[in-house]
Amino acid sequence: MLKSKTFVKKTRSGGVVKIVREHYLRDDIWCGSEVCSECKPETTELQKNAYIESNLCAYPHYLIPDTNVVLHQIDVLEDPIIRNVIILQTVLQEVRHRSAPIYKRVKDMLHEKEKHFYTFTNEHHRETFIEREPGESANDRNDRAIRVAAKWYSEHLKAFKSSSDGLEVVLLTNDQGNKQKAADIGLVVFKCEEYIKSLIANPELVDRLALTDNEKNEISKKVLFPEHLPLSKVQAGIKAGTFLQGTYRASRDNYLEGSVFVQKDGEESTEVLIQGLANLNRAVHQDVVAVQILARDKWVAPSSVVLQDEGAAKDDAGDEEDEDKALKTTFAETAKKPTARIVGIIKRSWRPFCGMLNVSQIKESTRHLFTPADRRIPRIRIETRQSSTLAGQRIMVAIDGWPKDSRYPNGHFVRSLGGAGEKETEQEVLLLEHDVPHQAFSQTVLSFLPKMPWVITPEESASSSYWAVVVDEGKREDLRQLIVCSVDPPGCTDIDDALHCRELDNGNLEVGVHIADVSHFIRPGNALDQEAANRGTTVYLCGKRIDMVPELLSSNLCSLRSNVERLAFSCIWEMNHNAEIVKTRFTKSIINSKASLTYAEAQMRIDDSTMNDDITISLRGLNKLAKILKRQRIQNGALTLSSLEVRFHIDSETHDPIDLQTKELMETNSMVEEFMLLANISVAQKIYDEFPECALLRKHPAPPPSNYDILIKAAKSKNVEIHTDSAKALADSLDVARVDNFPYFNTLLRILATRCMMQAVYFCSGMDSDFHHYGLASPIYTHFTSPIRRYSDIIVHRLLAVAIGADATYSDLMDKHKQSALCNNLNYRHKMAQYAQRASVAFHTQLFFKSRGVLNEEGFVLFVRKNAIIVLIPKFGLEGTVFFDSKDKAGPKLIYDEEGPVLTVEQHTFHIFDKVKVTISLDASNIQHQKIRMALLDPVIPGVSVPAENPEPPSKKSKIDR
Amino acid sequence: MATVQVSEAEKVYILHGIRDDLRVDGRGCEDYRHMEIETDVVSNTDGSAKVTLGHTAVLVGVKAEIGKPRPMLPDEGFLEFFVDCSANATPEFEGRGGEELGTELSNTLYKVFNNKHSIDLKSLSILRGEHCWVLYVDVLLLQCDGNLYDAISVAIKAALFSTKIPKVHISSDEEGSKEIELSDDPFDCIRLRVDHVPCIVTVCKVGHRHVVDATLPEKACSVASVLMAVTQTGAVTCVRKVGGGSLEPESVMEMTETGKRVGKALHAPLMELLQQEEKLGKSRQKVGFLG
Repeated sequence: MLKSKTFVKKTRSGGVVKIVREHYLRDDIWCGSEVCSECKPETTELQKNAYIESNLCAYPHYLIPDTNVVLHQIDVLEDPIIRNVIILQTVLQEVRHRSAPIYKRVKDMLHEKEKHFYTFTNEHHRETFIEREPGESANDRNDRAIRVAAKWYSEHLKAFKSSSDGLEVVLLTNDQGNKQKAADIGLVVFKCEEYIKSLIANPELVDRLALTDNEKNEISKKVLFPEHLPLSKVQAGIKAGTFLQGTYRASRDNYLEGSVFVQKDGEESTEVLIQGLANLNRAVHQDVVAVQILARDKWVAPSSVVLQDEGAAKDDAGDEEDEDKALKTTFAETAKKPTARIVGIIKRSWRPFCGMLNVSQIKESTRHLFTPADRRIPRIRIETRQSSTLAGQRIMVAIDGWPKDSRYPNGHFVRSLGGAGEKETEQEVLLLEHDVPHQAFSQTVLSFLPKMPWVITPEESASSSYWAVVVDEGKREDLRQLIVCSVDPPGCTDIDDALHCRELDNGNLEVGVHIADVSHFIRPGNALDQEAANRGTTVYLCGKRIDMVPELLSSNLCSLRSNVERLAFSCIWEMNHNAEIVKTRFTKSIINSKASLTYAEAQMRIDDSTMNDDITISLRGLNKLAKILKRQRIQNGALTLSSLEVRFHIDSETHDPIDLQTKELMETNSMVEEFMLLANISVAQKIYDEFPECALLRKHPAPPPSNYDILIKAAKSKNVEIHTDSAKALADSLDVARVDNFPYFNTLLRILATRCMMQAVYFCSGMDSDFHHYGLASPIYTHFTSPIRRYSDIIVHRLLAVAIGADATYSDLMDKHKQSALCNNLNYRHKMAQYAQRASVAFHTQLFFKSRGVLNEEGFVLFVRKNAIIVLIPKFGLEGTVFFDSKDKAGPKLIYDEEGPVLTVEQHTFHIFDKVKVTISLDASNIQHQKIRMALLDPVIPGVSVPAENPEPPSKKSKIDR
Repeated sequence: MATVQVSEAEKVYILHGIRDDLRVDGRGCEDYRHMEIETDVVSNTDGSAKVTLGHTAVLVGVKAEIGKPRPMLPDEGFLEFFVDCSANATPEFEGRGGEELGTELSNTLYKVFNNKHSIDLKSLSILRGEHCWVLYVDVLLLQCDGNLYDAISVAIKAALFSTKIPKVHISSDEEGSKEIELSDDPFDCIRLRVDHVPCIVTVCKVGHRHVVDATLPEKACSVASVLMAVTQTGAVTCVRKVGGGSLEPESVMEMTETGKRVGKALHAPLMELLQQEEKLGKSRQKVGFLG
C-alpha cells in the first residue's frame, strides 16, 4: 500500500518547497515476541517470560518508552535489568533527530542480544501508521503514533492470552497529557519515575533517573543566573557581530574564572576573559558559547589567586556576593584583558564525568554534591540513596541540566568505577579523563585482521608460493639472508624496528633500518584503519599498554621478533666510513631477524672483545657510525635535553611498585636512536619531494625568546651565561655550563631548558611553510619508525609506498584538508597520551610513597615561586612543591624578588639550584587528589621547616583500608 | 493548432446542421460537451486540476514559490504561465512544433488572469517590496480536440481553487533583519479567493450562426472566432478575436452577448462541483487519472 508524506520545507536560499515522499506500508512486519504465533518472524527478540519484579505490574510485560524517556533516561534503559523493550521507529527517528550520541547508544542496545530490545517499524506497519491531522503538531502526531502502536501491541498480544500468562505492554511516558490520553484508550501507562521506583529488586536504579524539568516547580527560588538567549537570537547576534562565538575553557585554579577563545573572520583567534558566576552563566568547560564583550571600563585582569569550590553545598541564594568578593583584587591598568559575559550556549559538550561524592552532612538526605576529578568541571548535584556505598568510590555522573535558579548543575549517577585509590579504578579514571579510547576492539575491527592461515610457519614459508608471488612481483625484496637484529628495552613485545650493517665489496658500509610493514595489514578506509586513526597512538601506562592496533598485529604479525619471517619496510643506505650517505633506497622487504636484544645485551656484545659473531660485528659497525652521526648532528646544533624518566620495579604478584629508579641511558640507546632519526629524515625528504602538497611531516617550532627568560636568569645566578640566539648557540652554551663542586648543575640546566621548548607537532606539508625541527636541528622531519604504535607512521609508510611504486594511492591520502584534520587528531591524542602517561607515573609514585611511608631526601630547587619553592629529587625524578604559607595559620614573612628570582623566607633566601633536604610523604587528605607532600628539613628555618625525625608517618593513618 | 482536413460535403453538412441549431454530435449551438473536472491530482504541486472536455484534456498545476515583487507593484504577487504542448496531444507538437501555440496560449492566459480584478494579488504579498508569492501555473496539454482555451481556463480556475499556499510569517529582530518563518503545521495554509476568476468562452462564427465549444471539424468550418473572459457576474474582462476571417460589428455584439450568457451559466455549476469535492476531504476516492 502506498501513501505519500507531504511536507513543506524552507530551503537554504530562503525559498519554500513542498516535498512529497512516497511511503510504503506493509502488512508483514512482525511483532518480535516469542508468544506470537501469528507473525512469522525469523528471530524473536522479546522473551515470553518478561518478568521484572515490580510492584506496579506483577505480570510479565514489555516496555514501550516514548521519545523523551529514551532521551532523558538512557542511563536507566542501559541497565542490564531493563530488558524486553520495544523501541518504536517513531521514537528512534525522533531520538536520531535530536541527539546523535544517544541514538548511537540506543542502536548499540538494540544490537545487544541479552537486552532483548526490539525495533518495531510502526511507521511502515499498515495498522499503526497514522497521518497527521489538521491542527495537530508534529509532536502530538508522534505521541499519537506511539499510543496507536502501543494499543496495537496490547491487542495483538491479547490474542495469545492462553500461551502468554497475561503478557501486557507498558507505555512509559513523562508527559501528563500523553499519559492521560493513553489511559483513556485503555493502555497500561506509567511515568518513568513511577515505574523505576516500583522495581522492587533494584532500588539503585532510581539514582540513575535523570531529573526532569517538571520536577523542579517546587518553590520559585531566587534566580542566580541570567537567562540564556535562544539560539536564533544568538545566531543573529553573531551574524551582526554583537556576540562572539568560541569554546569556553574553565580555569584550573579558579572556579570563578574562565576564558573563551573567539575566532573572528579573518582575524587571529583571541582570548577573552570571563569572571564571576553570573558572567560565566552556567557554562561548563569545553562548551561552545556565545559571549558579549563588556564595556571597556568593566574589563578586569585575571586574578592570580587560587580558588577552589570547596566546603559544604552552598544554599542557592545569598552566597555569591561573598564568592565574588574573593575575586576583587587590585590590579594594574595594563593587566586588564578583554572581558566578556556569556549570553548563550550554542552547544553543550557534556560527557559523563569521573569523580567522587561529597556526602551531605545531613543524614538521610538524598541530595549530594559530586566533585569531578577534573577541577575545571563544576560540582554537580545528584540524588542518590546509596550515598553510604558510593562514598569513597570513584563514580561517573552525567549532567542533566543547569536551571537558572540553581547554584550547581543537576545530574545523575551513571556507574561506579570502583574504590578510590585502587589501581584498577584509578587507571580507568585517568584513561577516561584523558579521553583515551581504551575499550576492547570491536568485532568489526577484528574482522579486518589477517585470517589465521595467513600465519605461515617458518618451514613452509621458505617454499611457500605466497612469498614467491610477492617477491616475484618485484615489490618486495627478499632480505632474509641479511644479519638483522633488533635492540629494544627489556620486555618489549611490539618490536617495530630492526637494524643491519655489513661491509660491501667496494669497501663502503651498507646500513639498513627495517620497520614493521604495518600498512600491509591495515588497509586504508576499513574499520581497523579508522579505529587506529582514531586512537592515533599506543598509550603506555605503568604496567599497562593500550594498543593502537589489535594485539595479533602489535605483538605478533608486525613485531619483528627474532627467527621468524616478517614483512618489513626497509630504508637502506650505502655509507662510507665517515658516515656520509652515498646512496639511499627504500623497499618493501621480507626479513628474518637473527636476534632480539635488549640495550644492555647489545652493549655487552659490543664491549666483549671475545665475541666476534656476525651479529656483534654488525652491531659494532652500527655503533661506530652512530657515534659519527651523533657528533655531526650535535655540530649542526641539535639539542641534548634532559628530562628525568623513572622506571618502576613492579612486583610481579601484586603489581605494586616496589622500587623506582631513573632510566639509565646506554650507548646502544643512542645507537638505535641515531639510525631512527636518520631513517625519519631520509623518509621525510623522500615523501616531501614526491608529494610536496600532502606529505605528513613533524615540526618543532623554535620557542619565542621570552621562553628562555627563566633559564637565562637561573644560569646567571651561578654566573653562567646561556646564549639562546639559535639552537646551536644554546647547545654549545649548555655544553660548557659547569659549576665546580656541582656536577648535577648541567643536568638541572638541561631540565630547565626542556621546559622552555614548544611542543612538536604533526602537520601536512601543503598547509604550512615552516618545516624546521628545532630540537633535532633538521630542516625536515617525520615519523616513520614506529608504525605499530603511532598512526602517523602508518600514513608515512603509505606515502612512501606510493612514492616507490609499491602500493596504490587513495583519495584521502592526497587530500591535504583531510590530512590536516587527521594531524589535528593525532596531535591531540599524542598530547593526551602524554598527560595520561604522566598521570600514571604520578599515581604509581604515590603508591610507592604510600608503601614507603616518610622518606628524607636531598633535592635541588628547580623554581622559585611567590609562596613556594619547587624541589626536584634526582633520585626519584620527582618534583614537588614546598609551600611556605598555609590556609589556616599565619605564614612566615615572605619576600619575593622577581628579578632573581629569589624568595626570602624569614632570614633564609632561596635561589634556584640551592640544595635542600626535604621529607616526602603522601598527603591522602583529599582522596580524590592525593598528592606527594614535601616539607623542608634543611636549611632549618624556625616555624617553617619540620623536625628531621617523624615519629609516625602520617600517610599510614589516613590510608584507606580496603 | 491541431487541424483536421474537412471535405466540402462535410462542411456543408456541418453548416446546415448549425443553421438548424443541431450540431453533428447532437448538441445545440450554446451547449458544451461533457466536462470532467478533478482537482488535487498532482501531489507535488500546491494546487492542480485536470479537465477533460470531450476529447480535449488538460492538466494544470500551480506551484507557489517565494519571489521578489515587480518594482512597480511592490505589494502584489503575480502569476506566471507556461503552456507545454506535449507531443502526446498531437503529433504536430513534436519537436518545437508546439512552441508557437504554447507562447500564444500563455500570453493570452497572462492577460486574462494576471490582474487584480481576477485574483486578489495583494493577498500574495508577503513583505512589501521584498517578498511575495509567485504562482507558477503550468498547463500541460494532454489531448487536443478543439476549444483549448475554455478547457484550460476551467482547469486553471479549479487548480487555483484547490491551491494551498503554506502560511509564512515574517519575524524581525532588533537589527531589523527579517526572516521568513514557516509554520510547521502542513495544514496551516492560505486559500485563494476564486470568485472573480473568469472563465474563457470561445464563440465561433459558423456560417451565419455562432457556436460555443467548437470541435475540430466545426472549427475548420469557421471563419473567425471571439474569445472572451467572463466572470461569475457576467462581466467581460477580456475579448480577443482570433482567426483569419472578418466579422461584422453586429455579429461581434451578438457573439459577445452569447459568450456572456454562456459564461455566466458555466460558473455556477463549476463552483458547486468544486466545493462538493472539497467537502469530501480525505474520504474522497481518487479515480481515473493518477488515482
